[in-house]
Amino acid sequence: MPTELPYAADAEEALSYDELEVSTPSCGSHAASPNILRVGHSNAPPRVRPVQVLRLQYQKELSQSHVTVQTKFNYAWGLVKSPLREHQVEGVRLLQEIYRAEPTRRRECLYYLALGHYKMGNYEEARRFNALLLDKEPTNLQAQSLAGLIDKRVTRDGYIGMAIVGGVAALGTLVLASVIRRASRK
Amino acid sequence: MSNAQDKDKAAAPVNVKLLLIGNSSVGKSSLLLRFSDEQWLPEDESSATIGVDFRVHKMDVKGKKVKLSIWDTAGQERFRTITSSYYRGAQGIILVYDVANRESFDALPKWFAELETYVSSAVVKIIVGNKVDKEYSRQVPVSEGQAFATRMNALFVEASAKTAVGVQEAFRDVVERIIDTPELWQSAGARKSRSGGAGAGAGGQDMPGSIDLRQEPEEAEGGGCGC
Repeated sequence: MPTELPYAADAEEALSYDELEVSTPSCGSHAASPNILRVGHSNAPPRVRPVQVLRLQYQKELSQSHVTVQTKFNYAWGLVKSPLREHQVEGVRLLQEIYRAEPTRRRECLYYLALGHYKMGNYEEARRFNALLLDKEPTNLQAQSLAGLIDKRVTRDGYIGMAIVGGVAALGTLVLASVIRRASRK
Repeated sequence: MSNAQDKDKAAAPVNVKLLLIGNSSVGKSSLLLRFSDEQWLPEDESSATIGVDFRVHKMDVKGKKVKLSIWDTAGQERFRTITSSYYRGAQGIILVYDVANRESFDALPKWFAELETYVSSAVVKIIVGNKVDKEYSRQVPVSEGQAFATRMNALFVEASAKTAVGVQEAFRDVVERIIDTPELWQSAGARKSRSGGAGAGAGGQDMPGSIDLRQEPEEAEGGGCGC
């Protein structure tokens, strides 16, 4: 294996919070994508959280009572990317809405739904959505490696669980032993 | 292994971030799969990249250990917002077109315009004309690709992810040029060493997870957004 990280390392590495910074909408003449994001530019307001930018665009369109799928998807993606659980939950909710409403966007919704649930630790859900994607695209390498990541995490958590159970059992034994010892001393 | 003068460098490899961009279906992911795994998926088995994909690859270049983080972006327009957030901190850009698809070549100026927005001009660029195995349906002559690359001050190679022709060369060329341009990686060396750490998410602090923005050369500033 020449590489050490799987394709879906995106789940672990890329989804950091601050990678996106804002553009001022004033310069965009690109009608097709209203929220052009510019990255790493010092004329952008520093440290504006990506989710905020994407949310602003989303809310603006909400207030005009027409939200484009693209805006909604971008916002959902930003939410899933966030480390905050409430963001992830909201992102997953929006992705589910897009999934239902937009058949042409299903594959990416499935992938990011799986990723969102993975990040939240809902491995069963993650696996279920990822399996739906793999059903349609059995050779999809991103989905394959996300499946690998999910399995790994489940196994790890399994070990941690066993360790906790084992630890509790050991502790219980110690306590019990000392109780017995104390009792037998009397 | 020879540079023991600098114990920091001897221990840590040079971290290099590469980004693959270009129209959809030109073979960006296939080039990466060929390069890192020596594999190839036929067209009916390969699927369009969702958002962004990522691989780590190690190589030795000019006596240096190099750890490549390669970001493979989706070519589809609807992922543009997502993919544009991954340009930051890239030292090398691989622009891919399909020699049997004129449109993908004609789109290159658009990709260069995007580069001007997101990365410094010092970043190494290479244009890769993929799918030379389709010689019979070639729509872009080698000379034209080469001439365009020269004009854009980019490296150039033709390749085929299917037959493996030119693939190693493409990646090696761009990394060699980066290594030849120490300002792209030297100052960043110490801080960047955490970037490939495979850590989980890096938490919600001010630290960006995989890319440290503070050391990014920002002289692209003058270009602005062009409007």
